Amino acid sequence: MFVVRRRVGERILIADDIEIEIVEISKTRVKLGVRAPREVPVMRAETVPVAAENRAASAWASSRIAAAPAQLMKLLQNLQDNSAQTVAYVPDQ
Amino acid sequence: MASPGILPGTCLGDLEWDRGSELWFAQGIPGFENERRMVPVEIPAQRPLVYLQSAETPGLCFLALPVTTIQADFEVRLTADDFQALELDPSIDPVPGLDILCLALLGPSESGIRTNLAAPVIISLHTMRGHQLTPMAGPLYWHLGEGRAWERSCL
Repeated sequence: MFVVRRRVGERILIADDIEIEIVEISKTRVKLGVRAPREVPVMRAETVPVAAENRAASAWASSRIAAAPAQLMKLLQNLQDNSAQTVAYVPDQ
Repeated sequence: MASPGILPGTCLGDLEWDRGSELWFAQGIPGFENERRMVPVEIPAQRPLVYLQSAETPGLCFLALPVTTIQADFEVRLTADDFQALELDPSIDPVPGLDILCLALLGPSESGIRTNLAAPVIISLHTMRGHQLTPMAGPLYWHLGEGRAWERSCL
């Protein structure tokens, strides 16, 4: 692993076209700015599983809407039943 | 007056929308980092379902629900980065429904639908900016099986 000490405003270069700048340093956090080509995804590591979930969600949604409207209607009915139960619930005074 | 947005061949058919309702995701959506323009579509007969349709890619669409239809007492916590992405004033405490909307993206599970409430999509109603939260403490999955209520799930 490449380890280096940097100050605010200093930069790190990766290859010819990726640049990381130290924008701000506080007591517990470092704020970084990343410049990279549009085709290079830049994300927090915690975002990686969300990206996978989003890809699955998009493929699933598109297939439900375009190819299987009956399944979508069933889903919708389920959601509306569920929502109606939630909204209609009034606790006893 | 701005011309309406038009996108043929979406999952919802040919879509025409008012530019004022278009959302701008400055960082895209994880997995779709270059998708910055999205259009929320609500069909009255299908409430509370919300379609989040890309304004650039006809085949890209998400199904979403307001988070409170899944977890009634859901509370959103925004970081400084989230405020910045949404271009919201960090000195205010945004009120869901008034300042922001919180949408849960729906995805498949083995026996129904799953959503991760640790990563809701937040929409600023003031700036029309959108941003998906990053789960800092792992996922918070909720699951809806056939004919059952939403419940917390490990997977």
